[in-house]
Amino acid sequence: MSITENRPLIQMQNVNKFFGDFQALKNVNLEVRKGERIVVCGPSGSGKSTMIRCINRLEEHTDGHIVIDGNTLTDKVKDINAVRREVGMVFQNFNLFPHMTIVKNLMIAQQLVRNTSKNDARETAMFYLERVKIPEQAQKYPIQLSGGQQQRVAIARALCMKPEIMLFDEPTSALDPEMINEVLEVMVDLAKEGMTMICVTHEMGFARSVADRIIFMDLGEIVEEAAPEEFFDNPKSERTKKFLSQILSH
Amino acid sequence: MDVLAGWWDDYFWGAVVVGKVFFCSLALMIIFGLLGAMAKLSNSRVAQKIAGAYTVVFRGTPEILVVLLLYFGSAVVLTAIAQVFNPEIKFVDVPPFWAGTIAISIIVGSYATETFRGAFLGVHPGSIEAARALGMSDLQTFVYVRIPEMWRLALPPFGNHMLSLVKDTALISIIGLNETMFVAKQAITVTGKPFTMYIVVGAIYLGFSTVVTLFVMGAEKFGERTTVGAK
Amino acid sequence: MSFDLQLIIESLPVMLMGIGITFKLLVISGVLGLLLAICLLLMRISGLWYLNIPAQIYIYVFRGTPILVQIFIVYYGLPQFESVRESIFWPILREPTGCAILALSLNTGAYVSEILRGGVLGVDKGVLEAGSALGMSAHQKFIYITTPIATRLALPAYSNDVISLLKSTALASTITIADMTGIARTIVADTYAPYEIFISLAVVYMIFTFGLQKLFGIIEGYLGQYTKRE
Repeated sequence: MSITENRPLIQMQNVNKFFGDFQALKNVNLEVRKGERIVVCGPSGSGKSTMIRCINRLEEHTDGHIVIDGNTLTDKVKDINAVRREVGMVFQNFNLFPHMTIVKNLMIAQQLVRNTSKNDARETAMFYLERVKIPEQAQKYPIQLSGGQQQRVAIARALCMKPEIMLFDEPTSALDPEMINEVLEVMVDLAKEGMTMICVTHEMGFARSVADRIIFMDLGEIVEEAAPEEFFDNPKSERTKKFLSQILSH
Repeated sequence: MDVLAGWWDDYFWGAVVVGKVFFCSLALMIIFGLLGAMAKLSNSRVAQKIAGAYTVVFRGTPEILVVLLLYFGSAVVLTAIAQVFNPEIKFVDVPPFWAGTIAISIIVGSYATETFRGAFLGVHPGSIEAARALGMSDLQTFVYVRIPEMWRLALPPFGNHMLSLVKDTALISIIGLNETMFVAKQAITVTGKPFTMYIVVGAIYLGFSTVVTLFVMGAEKFGERTTVGAK
Repeated sequence: MSFDLQLIIESLPVMLMGIGITFKLLVISGVLGLLLAICLLLMRISGLWYLNIPAQIYIYVFRGTPILVQIFIVYYGLPQFESVRESIFWPILREPTGCAILALSLNTGAYVSEILRGGVLGVDKGVLEAGSALGMSAHQKFIYITTPIATRLALPAYSNDVISLLKSTALASTITIADMTGIARTIVADTYAPYEIFISLAVVYMIFTFGLQKLFGIIEGYLGQYTKRE
């Protein structure tokens, strides 16, 4: 455990990932410090999702090292669980537990993974439900909520585990346009409070206003890494320029 | 295993009978199934109700009962008819082969009705519209668009119906069909080895099931050749 | 040839005396079969080849052979072995009812395990990933996520199988059991009126089937509460 406020929480060194013959990640090197807000962008198939999914071992990296807050990520269940306790994830398709009420969705992992008592779990659950501004939906089932509401619940569910790091895998890509803002607002609030986060997204407005660093990936490699102003106004690589012209033109 | 010596040919011919029942009942099952499906999909309320009754009755009645009813029932009817012409006749026998084959075709046909109906409904309306827009006639649309999509959708459950036909054949032994179960019964009285004899029956049926399953797997691959891949 | 209503009125009560046996066969075989199915399912999804393969072989054999053959093997076939006749199970295996229950359980267990497996495979992978990401163990995910969702998914197919089981109980009549079908066959042999007897019996089975469908409809409604958008 580190004492410094600015300690590296995520360290990926020379990470490669193969799906059969296909190489999804090529020699990825990444360091994320506590409190940093990283946005990862790139064309589809560039390996962005794969990269963050390697962080909480939803994908297994083929070689290289991944160290999360001092815990090296290996095959061992103990190590994996140690990492997953510190890392929260929000999915593109929300993935709420359809058969549980909203509040139960938020409570279950606390009870099972952290052995929290039912009352404490419920308190925490309601606290975060209020943070994402939908406490009145507590007793409903996911199917009764809109996409934007479901995603906000998903964020609250991850926050209930009090993670050190939050990973967002295209959190607004599956949402109708009018609901994107309500989710982005929650993420901006989170960023303002100093949550360390890595966000894979196409929302460049969000990136520009919130990110400390923007990472551009293409074909499994990190092509460019820079602070927002430099990234948008002064991209260095040709590939970055091409990508920016494609997504910023409309 | 030499207790089985001498019985292999009988089992073989019994298996041939199972095969004959299978092919005859398969043809009938497809006919009943298609008729039922078309009745349910038609605009006639009467046809829909009749087809509805058909599926409810034969999916809710034990197969053995239908076999017995058809066998004894048709014997009664035929005897009554024959007695009109020749009062001397006491009893007209009905070949168990036909009573049984028709019985199981009717039963599995009621399940096939639902399968075919679902498959027809599963054909993309877009494909039909495209065919109409291109000026194809109803018959052409049916043959070149509906049927190809429909049989691919129906194939997995249809495979199960074929397996049902294979297995239901054993029921026909109860009314005296000379297939493998029947052979086993005779073999038992001679050899006194019921377990062995019935295991052979089981193995023969398992063989038939395996062939049918492999055929269905092959047909699914064939169907996928032209449809899977375009994403 | 007339339709003898009087005969039906006299025979129905007699046939219905067999309903107790039919019911007993259905419930006991159903429960035992379900337990067996759960064991087979766990073997199938365990990931261990020495559990998975035997389970697959069992399911293949029992789904690939007629239930009638299975009944005959248990009732007529097992007594061939002295070890069976001298075992502690003999009192059960000597009786046709015990044999019928055994055969029906073994058979339905194979079918139901595949139905349950279909339910398990139908659980959204994303939802399971969410469980992983939250730190839930494989064990916890199976109990709190997979089982509730898979049960609801498997229910329609399971209800069909229970109805099949009901129909299979009629085969018990072939090994001398006096269930409804057994009694009916005796009556037909005496009166030679297959239409009246078998048709009225068929109606009884259809009513029974209808009742089962309604029952499962209620269960499906209850389990599926969380799928309604209202």
